[in-house]
Amino acid sequence: MRATDIGEAATNSALTITNVTKNYGDVRAIDGLDLTIRAGETVALLGPNGAGKSTTIAMLLGLTAPDTGTVRVLGGDPERAVRNGRIGAMPQENRLIPRVKVRELIGFVRECYPAPPPLAEILETARITDLAGRWADKLSGGQTQRVRFAIALAGAPELIVLDEPTASLDVESRRELWAAIRGYAASGRTVLFSTHYLEEADDNADRIVVVDRGRLIADGTSAEIKQRVAGRTVSVDLPAGTALDRLPGVVAVEIRGDRAHLRSTDSDATVLALAGAGVVRNLEVTGAALEDAFLALTDTTKETV
Amino acid sequence: MFGYLRLEMLRLMRDGGYLFMTLIMPVVTYLVFTNLSSVTGQDHREAALYAMVGMAGFGALGAVLNNGVGVAEDKSLGWIRQLRLLPLSPLQVVAARTLCGMAVAFPPIAAVCLLGALVNGVSLGAGQWLAIVALLWLGIAPIAVLAMGIGYLFDAQKAQMSGALGYLGLSLIGGLWIPIKQFPHWLQTVATFTPANRYGELSWRIAFGGTFSVAAAAGLLAWFAIFGGFAVYAYRRSVRTA
Repeated sequence: MRATDIGEAATNSALTITNVTKNYGDVRAIDGLDLTIRAGETVALLGPNGAGKSTTIAMLLGLTAPDTGTVRVLGGDPERAVRNGRIGAMPQENRLIPRVKVRELIGFVRECYPAPPPLAEILETARITDLAGRWADKLSGGQTQRVRFAIALAGAPELIVLDEPTASLDVESRRELWAAIRGYAASGRTVLFSTHYLEEADDNADRIVVVDRGRLIADGTSAEIKQRVAGRTVSVDLPAGTALDRLPGVVAVEIRGDRAHLRSTDSDATVLALAGAGVVRNLEVTGAALEDAFLALTDTTKETV
Repeated sequence: MFGYLRLEMLRLMRDGGYLFMTLIMPVVTYLVFTNLSSVTGQDHREAALYAMVGMAGFGALGAVLNNGVGVAEDKSLGWIRQLRLLPLSPLQVVAARTLCGMAVAFPPIAAVCLLGALVNGVSLGAGQWLAIVALLWLGIAPIAVLAMGIGYLFDAQKAQMSGALGYLGLSLIGGLWIPIKQFPHWLQTVATFTPANRYGELSWRIAFGGTFSVAAAAGLLAWFAIFGGFAVYAYRRSVRTA
């Protein structure tokens, strides 16, 4: 792809999901989902098991059709985008076929596409150059996932969709795979991946889309999502006789041992008020972890259901 | 499509156990079967010729049905779904895989025919030989397509069972082992409608000095259409559920 094409594409949407629902029997897997991803973004689809991540991805790849609503990928039908070699995919299975070498496998995949990069470049990007001569079914879990990633990128597609790429990998293998994925995303391609690991979304995505029970419950950068929920936590040694829950900004108070943890939407005001009351001892101010944000968000939906 | 065909052929060529089994079964049964006088009865020459076509067909049947089991195994690895996500048309994928099955069917056909000529003294004109080998090879296409349907529809274990059932069932009722003339009358009538019998009939006709059987060819074409429909159904279903 030429540089001008990428510049032009950046203003367009890579995929659009509009008001989609999908049922499996009586179970509503997707419940009125709307989502637009712009070209060039790296987006994490984050949610607990059964949130609808895999169903969403299956629809984006044209493997299943929505009951209502529309799914558009690269300006058209998902199946057409697949047929034209504009999407690369890493579905959620983790084995490779026997009796074929990695080089032969990737060589075959790249020849399916209209304008693939040289084989050596693909192997390099996926960090599997040293595995080229190995039997595809005789690799470790991490090696297997990198080969499967190479299958997804072998045609240099505009959009890559990865369904839980690091599930069941050890820390080192995850790091290697992410290095490879980020390298590909840095070349201006759109990457959508699903995960239920919060740190992974935090570390590797420009934007996080949180889904639960088939609905979108948050959408933004990881900083935005953290901020949206909880603000910060202010901790001090437990003071006697202060009405902590009446302090400015405080939305929740938790006492653990002799420490008070105040969840605050305005930590500056909370700290000033604590100082005014003369109870600042061992003061600590921490940002909310994404994990807290995530739990808070999914809790909220449970209450409203 | 040729890239995919090449890849699958490469995998097949490396599957020594499968290739050996497809060859050894019909070869051994043919030699044993035709050299036991209790089985062949009076006319050894006729039996050798009849069983040559029968056992070559039996070998071809086993080869293509086993190829369907391979599809079911690949499906369990996620390979079939991965192929679906490449810019390849489903028809190309299924056609290439069917051709693989037919490629594996060729060695047992050739081996049994060679043994017929060299060991059992079958003598035919060059035209007859050519026609028989070609018909045995091309005529297996409907069963090769049936095997695709089985591979796409079932998991590996069920595909294996269906394959084994089809292997024995179709070849027995089709008369590949024992001429259907020895069946009860009603069963003869049923047998002449089965795919393996229409398949064998094409070559038996030529082998015993007859002409090309249009009726048998038409029957096989009908089975090709039926099994093709089944394979398309099975493929669509597997894409939905995989």
